[in-house]
Amino acid sequence: MSKYIERFRTSERVLHWIVTGSFFTLLISGLGLYSRLFNGYFAMFGGGQNAILIHKLVGLLFFFSSLYMFLNHKKDVSSFDDADWQWIKKYGGYLTRYGLHFDIGKYNPGQKLFAVFIAAATVVLGVTGLFIWSPVSFPRWIVQLSLLLHSLMFVGSIVFVIVHVYLATIGNPGTIEAMLYGDVRKIWAKKHHPKWYKEVAGE
Amino acid sequence: MADTVKAENRKGFLVDTSRCIGCRSCQVACKQWNKLEADKTANQGSFENPRDLTPALFNRIRFVEGSNETGEMSWRFLNERCMHCGDAGCMKVCPSPGALYRTKDGIVAYNKERCISCKYCVAACPFNIPRYDGEDKVSKCNLCLDRVGGGMAPACAKACPTETLKFGKRNDLIARAKSAKKTLYGENSLSGLGVVYALEGPPEQYGLPASPSIPFSIFLWKDVIKPLGILGFWGSIGAVLLHYVTIGPKKVDDDLDAKEEGHE
Repeated sequence: MSKYIERFRTSERVLHWIVTGSFFTLLISGLGLYSRLFNGYFAMFGGGQNAILIHKLVGLLFFFSSLYMFLNHKKDVSSFDDADWQWIKKYGGYLTRYGLHFDIGKYNPGQKLFAVFIAAATVVLGVTGLFIWSPVSFPRWIVQLSLLLHSLMFVGSIVFVIVHVYLATIGNPGTIEAMLYGDVRKIWAKKHHPKWYKEVAGE
Repeated sequence: MADTVKAENRKGFLVDTSRCIGCRSCQVACKQWNKLEADKTANQGSFENPRDLTPALFNRIRFVEGSNETGEMSWRFLNERCMHCGDAGCMKVCPSPGALYRTKDGIVAYNKERCISCKYCVAACPFNIPRYDGEDKVSKCNLCLDRVGGGMAPACAKACPTETLKFGKRNDLIARAKSAKKTLYGENSLSGLGVVYALEGPPEQYGLPASPSIPFSIFLWKDVIKPLGILGFWGSIGAVLLHYVTIGPKKVDDDLDAKEEGHE
């Protein structure tokens, strides 16, 4: 019997990496707009005007792919059960060395919050991005508010993404495989997502 | 001032609106010196023309038409242009070094070659002044910095037949206006405007904000969110690294087994 179980289908993994790639392209192309401190990043795109153009085009890719990814998983991430509340009360067991176990389904509450936050940020960044796309076409107060919200959502996203990357890699050994070739070890699934494992493996 | 220009070195205008006759010589002289194309306009029932600044119109006379207490027609004229703020919103938000810059005279000048067309300056200006030209580059009054650099008065002030527009050392102009008992607008706002007005009524009557300031959302964006974001970035990287070396990763059981048995 195989030691592995499939966690993400190929299409889900490809979509995830499209979202990832567009996110980091947006980050790098937008840094020079965020602050003059990061003006040097414009050179990677052949100047500020090109960086803005790429930021706009990749922004469209990120908006639609990120939103599509959320809608695919909406059912799994939009409700909390009793085990989720237990997880929240104990901070998911991340603040103790003692191994805590929760009867978690496919996603734990942290992952659910991350998914919902990124979906909300995607909508806000997309809508405000549209106003910033052509500032002279809209009333100034809308553009001013958009610049504020766009930067606020960016800051929130980058903090969430740093935590996401940590928890999905060195913070939880064995997790990254799920997004690389799709399969995780059964023992990983039994520990981190026992309820999901029972549903899928029937054990 | 956010930059390094000393107050005594600043040059600017004193605009005495009581002297203005609305002849618009300043508009025409500006167009001529700066080689700006004519704008197509339409009669909209007012002598004010054009009705707004354009990429090819760096200053214009705003006509405030109304009637006084006795029902007589009253006209007020205001020369509208870039105010060359001491604390300039456009310079605060511009992400491209050298696109908007301050000269040693305190002028807020610009270099179109450095402009990256982000239009942040349009949103950040307290007076809604910058416009974008056909090549998508910033455009506004540059206070004839070539003339001023050569010791001459800007074209508008040179052409003004009534001395409404007086150009010179900002401190001297303000001192003279004060000794003439004028009520000044812009002396201290935004670290002192480069264009100071002697108005004949409240600023609102001229369409000027009573206390001009950089828009609050722009302040939050640049002075609160931006530093917090940099703190959040390094803070969260620090936090996850600290977590890794203190509490450590969540290993699944067979990782521990493998360590104990020494093989897998």
